[in-house]
Amino acid sequence: MKQLIVALCCMMVCTFVVSPAFPQSDAEFAKANANYAAGHFQEAVNGYETLVRSGEWSANLFYNLGNAYFRVGDFGHAILNYERALALDRHHPEADANLRIVRDEARALEMQSSWPERYFQFGSLSQYSVVAAVAFWLGMFCVFRLIFGRRRSAAIIALSILSFSTFVIAAFAIYKLENGNNGRALAIVTGTGVEARFATADSANSVLALPPGSEIKILSTRGDWIYAALPNNLRGWLPAKSAELVRL
Amino acid sequence: MYGVRASIPVFFLTLTAFGGANCVFADAPRVTAVLSNSEAAVGQTVQLQIKVTGDRAAQAPENIVIDGLEINRTGTEQHFEMNNFNVSSSVIYNYTILPLKSGTFKIPPQTVRIRSSSLRTPELTLNVADSPGRSSSSRSNRNLQPGDADKLVFAELIVPKKIAFVGETMPVEIRLGFDPRAHPKLVDGPEITGQGFTAQKLQQSQENLETLNGRSYDVVTFKTAVAAARAGKFEIGPVKAKAQVSLPRTPSTSRSRSRSPFDLFNLDDPFSDPFFADPFGQSERREIDVESEPATFEVKPLAANAPPSFSGAVGNFTMTTDAEPKNVQAGDPITVTSTISGRGNFDRVNAPVFEDERGWHKYPPSAKFKQDDDVGISGAKTFETVISPNEKKQALPLLAFSYFDPLKEKYVTLRSDAIPISVQGGAPIPPNAVASQPAATAPATVGAKPSPKPQDILYQLTERPPRAQSFTPLFACPIFWIAQLIPLAALLGFAGWKIRQAKIDNREARRIGALHQESTDLLRRLRRGEVSPQEYFSDASRAVRVKTALAKNVDPNAVDAEMAAATFRLDESSRAQLRRLFERSDELRYSGRPNGTGTISPENRREVLELIENLRV
Repeated sequence: MKQLIVALCCMMVCTFVVSPAFPQSDAEFAKANANYAAGHFQEAVNGYETLVRSGEWSANLFYNLGNAYFRVGDFGHAILNYERALALDRHHPEADANLRIVRDEARALEMQSSWPERYFQFGSLSQYSVVAAVAFWLGMFCVFRLIFGRRRSAAIIALSILSFSTFVIAAFAIYKLENGNNGRALAIVTGTGVEARFATADSANSVLALPPGSEIKILSTRGDWIYAALPNNLRGWLPAKSAELVRL
Repeated sequence: MYGVRASIPVFFLTLTAFGGANCVFADAPRVTAVLSNSEAAVGQTVQLQIKVTGDRAAQAPENIVIDGLEINRTGTEQHFEMNNFNVSSSVIYNYTILPLKSGTFKIPPQTVRIRSSSLRTPELTLNVADSPGRSSSSRSNRNLQPGDADKLVFAELIVPKKIAFVGETMPVEIRLGFDPRAHPKLVDGPEITGQGFTAQKLQQSQENLETLNGRSYDVVTFKTAVAAARAGKFEIGPVKAKAQVSLPRTPSTSRSRSRSPFDLFNLDDPFSDPFFADPFGQSERREIDVESEPATFEVKPLAANAPPSFSGAVGNFTMTTDAEPKNVQAGDPITVTSTISGRGNFDRVNAPVFEDERGWHKYPPSAKFKQDDDVGISGAKTFETVISPNEKKQALPLLAFSYFDPLKEKYVTLRSDAIPISVQGGAPIPPNAVASQPAATAPATVGAKPSPKPQDILYQLTERPPRAQSFTPLFACPIFWIAQLIPLAALLGFAGWKIRQAKIDNREARRIGALHQESTDLLRRLRRGEVSPQEYFSDASRAVRVKTALAKNVDPNAVDAEMAAATFRLDESSRAQLRRLFERSDELRYSGRPNGTGTISPENRREVLELIENLRV
């Protein structure tokens, strides 16, 4: 038993220690910031994109990249990177403020969230995960206490019911947030002049014209086309290269 | 159950009433008239259909008389349609129009009598062109040479117009004729060859039996549309196709060849071959090429000075517009629906443009095309454009759509009517600015409000977190599930501890139960008094030890007189009595014989019993 606990502790410590830190990329980040400050926005974009490609993601990096894209007039990528910053840090005030400004500027269309999504958005996926885990184990301890205890305390029964109810609600929240319109399939239209169509052909009838920065939910991919739920509650096909997933 | 049975007829009655109501409240009778093709050549038949929907008791005209057109009624069709319990019926009156001369013919509105009322069809226009190309091509193919298999088939390329404009879409018809006795099968094509024009996909429109030069042909008609990409003289075609036909294997020159009953005019019909008289004789399937004569036409360039809203549309169009909603707040979206209908190159028909977009934000439009014919020359293209007002407005901006009219040979600009709307909120409109006026008619400076400077974004951030962040949710990380092993281990440990405790508690309970049982047995034996003094005192001391062990939860063998006295808090006399009991028991156990008499007196037994029974905590 002791060996198992020691092994678990070692694994957890290793996981945190091995988490990528930023070794020498701080200099590149500072250089990109300097380019931005000097008005060399395209160079700044290139610098930030290099950091993104190297996997050194942070909310501030995506936020700065969004700002740089905004300066070069690419509203679609600007909104995409603000969304990524908010996906990493839900309470990033600067990204939230700039996202509103750019959305207003680009007239981008937003997906409508379902009512469970709206209600569950006060917590993040990680928070709901922790709540679900704690509630589950607390409920399990209560059940074991009821099984092995000499007396069946009403308080323990109530606590176990409360714990399992909390677990179910938290699990439902995780499911809705993960699979909802703003979940893992959320993508942003980055191309210009993009139109969702009824079929996978440029000549097919148009369903909806999507300004850059518009939100879509990718349902499936077929070759160079993606089938997506659109902000007007319809569905349509659009070129795969014209939209990018928020979550990398 | 009775309720269910009763509800079934009610359900069907409701269903019937609902369906009946739908029938009763079906749409009022209406009439439409369409031509199968509004472009034709002399001698080329066109179908006219007058469709009456909503009433089967309609009476369409038997004869339509128009100079230059021979119009004959060919039949009547009745159609029934049921959709969601809504039954609709329609009657279609078919006419065949044979143009006798070229020109533009107007088919006037026809009166259709429906019971006591009458409806009128819309006026239709039929353009009939001379078709020398057609006649030459058809004749050249129909002057079939004796002994040539091609005489079994012919191909025609019919281009109704000889002069067109760049981008103008012209309907083109391809007719392939096959002698039905050769059991023809089209294996490839047809396809139009040529350069400098774009052609749409061929659509097979009809197949009928025609008699040409006294010979019957199965004629398959294909339709398409072509548009020239540049000005100049063009040659379109020839049309090429491949077909399989059955032919006699080897015509014998020595055999006398009787005339086929089909060869009425002695045209050296290959079916005069005896093979066709003997269908079980030898024949062979042969693949033959079918080719028409090319057609030529001249393409003229479009006029210069195209209006700004011209996007390349050539033809004849009309425009209707509408907008919803008409009462909005500033910033709310308004969907403007504009429909361009008519004939022309719809692939070049773009959304109408707003003539004055100041104070509005426009989104890219969506388009939907509904064609009325086989090749997409005629139809209606509907655009939906979402615009939102940035300020107070009283009307939508005017929409303009320009096209080139090949008949008038000039550009035509269609403008929508001003659609009044009500916009609440936002900045008030300047007094001189009239939103409904086109920009061209209003001075650029009058009422021009400087657009508000867009809000700027916030500053860059220079801090970075110490570690890279991940988009992977916590529940999808392995560490999350590994961490669950900790409460799992704790839970299992808790369960094991509880199980062990239960086992221990159980063993203790059994030991205590055994002591209680032993105490009861000992007291019973002491009360009976049938045992020797040695056994009696041994039992008595054992009973004291057991009672003490039960009271103090200790081993009975570890109990002595002092411990028992202390446990039960005995007074001095009882304590002395207890000591004597233990001494007597030891004496009898270890000496082997008692000091004194061999029996126990009743008084002595009673004292011992009272002492033991009074031992209570």
